[in-house]
Amino acid sequence: MNKITDRTFTGEEFVSHRDDSVIICRCEEISKGEIRRAVYDGMRTMSEVKRYVRAGMGLCQGQTCSRLVKNIIAKELGLKPGEVEIPTPRSPARPVSMEIYANDGMKK
Amino acid sequence: MLMKRYELIVIGAGPAGLCAAIEAAANGMQVVVYDENSRPGGQLFKQIHKFFGSKEHKAKERGFRIGEKLLDEARELGVEVVLNATVMGVFENKEITVMIEDRVEHIKGNEIIIATGASENMLPFPGWTLPGVIGAGAAQTMMNLHGIKPGNKILMVGSGNVGLVVGFQLIQAGCRLEAIIDASPRVGGYGVHASKLARLGVPFYMSNTVKEAYGEGSVKGVSIVEVDKNWQQVAGSEKTFEVDTICIAVGLSPMSQLAKMTGCIMEDSPAKGGLVPVCNEYGETSIPGIYAAGDVSGIEEASSAMLKGRIAGSAISYNQGYLEENIFKENQAKYRSSLEQLREGMFGHKNKGRTDLLNTEEGFEISLNLLENGFLADVEIAHYPGVVSQERRKQGIVPVIECTQNIPCNPCQDACEKGCIKVGQVITNLPIIDGTAKCTGCGMCVAACSGQAIFLVNEDYAPGYATVGLPYEFRPLPQIGDKGIALDRSGKAVGEAEVISIKSAKALDETAILTIKVSEDLSMKARFFKSSKEVSL
Amino acid sequence: MMRIEEHPILKSFNKGNLVTFEFDGKSLMGYQGEPIAVALKANGVMIHRFTSKHQEPRGVFCAIGRCTDCVMIVDGKPNVRTCVTSLAEGMKVETQYGLTKKE
Repeated sequence: MNKITDRTFTGEEFVSHRDDSVIICRCEEISKGEIRRAVYDGMRTMSEVKRYVRAGMGLCQGQTCSRLVKNIIAKELGLKPGEVEIPTPRSPARPVSMEIYANDGMKK
Repeated sequence: MLMKRYELIVIGAGPAGLCAAIEAAANGMQVVVYDENSRPGGQLFKQIHKFFGSKEHKAKERGFRIGEKLLDEARELGVEVVLNATVMGVFENKEITVMIEDRVEHIKGNEIIIATGASENMLPFPGWTLPGVIGAGAAQTMMNLHGIKPGNKILMVGSGNVGLVVGFQLIQAGCRLEAIIDASPRVGGYGVHASKLARLGVPFYMSNTVKEAYGEGSVKGVSIVEVDKNWQQVAGSEKTFEVDTICIAVGLSPMSQLAKMTGCIMEDSPAKGGLVPVCNEYGETSIPGIYAAGDVSGIEEASSAMLKGRIAGSAISYNQGYLEENIFKENQAKYRSSLEQLREGMFGHKNKGRTDLLNTEEGFEISLNLLENGFLADVEIAHYPGVVSQERRKQGIVPVIECTQNIPCNPCQDACEKGCIKVGQVITNLPIIDGTAKCTGCGMCVAACSGQAIFLVNEDYAPGYATVGLPYEFRPLPQIGDKGIALDRSGKAVGEAEVISIKSAKALDETAILTIKVSEDLSMKARFFKSSKEVSL
Repeated sequence: MMRIEEHPILKSFNKGNLVTFEFDGKSLMGYQGEPIAVALKANGVMIHRFTSKHQEPRGVFCAIGRCTDCVMIVDGKPNVRTCVTSLAEGMKVETQYGLTKKE
């Protein structure tokens, strides 16, 4: 717990940007400002941001916003986009309905 | 549990995947190709323009025809192409899980090729979620697959080849392209693609970005704004356009999630478009037996994807004992040299991102006007080797080739039976016109040029008049006798014009040769025709 | 008219039979087998749904089944991607509000 609170305690104020209201995660309607705020609050990786604000957890499962979220995190942390830790890709690579998933290995 | 086994599993039935499958199957391998879409071919079937390159690269062939041929070839070789099949996981032991209709199947392969292509980049701006804002790929899907216009009045954002090519296709579909904008000060795609649009009157707004899309319920208009050297918006420079559609064409990124899932070594490479698997010269990743081919291993053209697919398919055939070593080496050498040819030139690997190129490889000055405005300036034209002297032009009909950048491409040379056009061994060379050769005005070169940069000029037509034969790919086709105006390279009206011939033939492959009569002083200016019958183009 | 009558390169498009379908209670026509989104566009429909949080209009964005902005309630089932789902005779298509139809 201390490790997390350490990260947020930079003492700096959150600086609003003119374009903070632009939607980044279209599915969950998460704005740029919310993502930037998440990084300010101490979320450093895409997995953390995803779990904190839900960006990338909507119907399209991050197919539209991933790159944008990564770039925003990179900009906030002063990193190259390639240096931002991306979520571990896990099966299923595309959204699958539970009904179909349950049909795995069932003989017809 | 049933587990099917194949010698080669290919994920993605785009140009790379199909070519890999064809190559392996031709060598005797048992191949299955899975594709999540309901139609195969990846982006190929949306490409209605003629490809560049040389004959072996399928130059001057339209993308969708190449797609049809690949599919036929794959079928004939017994390749199993499974559509609506979404691969959900690829595992280190070369097992995959694939969702087909309402069930999940586990499939094992001796070797796997990941050829999942690329996805479009996004450009967020205020109002970008409004209905009417679409990706360039979406515009192509709607027009070229489903026969529907995405909208009536369009703004294209992005001047790379995708933006330029799709922009032209929008006009072919009957839409009105209000403008092309790009935050960069220079046109990103081929000059010839930009020129096709500029002479239709489409304005280029470089160093501009979208400020806001607005409208109640859907896009009704957009405001654009200039950006300075630091990409900051310049207050007071806003312009508004009344549009119902905004098309975003700001680049592609490899769709490499499945590759990453295998656990192979990945690298973030801006030059390749993003996160790609690290591959050897055959496309094999750090996991033996798992390969990557096509855009997923680095964003290039479809022609390159096809070669990367063949290289991987051939390597796998050899590994699995279906190909003799000497033939394998021969194929690899052939494919590799072909691929390297495509990577030459102004837009090739070595020159990617360069803004300091002043001259072509031969030493001709690169047109700055073309890069900054999308068209060649009148004064620049005479300097290029594809443009013969006025003395020669006065002798009779001759091709005028306005090709001024080093791009690997040579169908113009092969098109002329009389030897008027020469590109040479190095296919990035600018084409040269041999003024001593006898041009018959057949128009084959005009139709063969994928950049639509060749015109047949006849300054010996009649006293006071000249004719200009130009490529025309729109409907309705003008008729002989139609009167209208001639537009110059910038799309400006420069004088009266009359249609004296319109030539269509199977060999021209839907590129009609429209010949207009203009006053002789316009022979090197008139580059497009607008009929007075038209309300708007 | 949004449908392309004569395309300079592709000529014409292979379409199935003309069928009737229902959109928000209205009777519309489209071609069997084409994506529902295309049939809607041909009828001038731009808005497919309104979002959960801010009730904002969304329509077709990627057109290849990836972004999920075009989802609607089709034959009672929500979150159906209309750009990759084929139109069938008698289909009932409704504007989706959040995750359900209009309350």
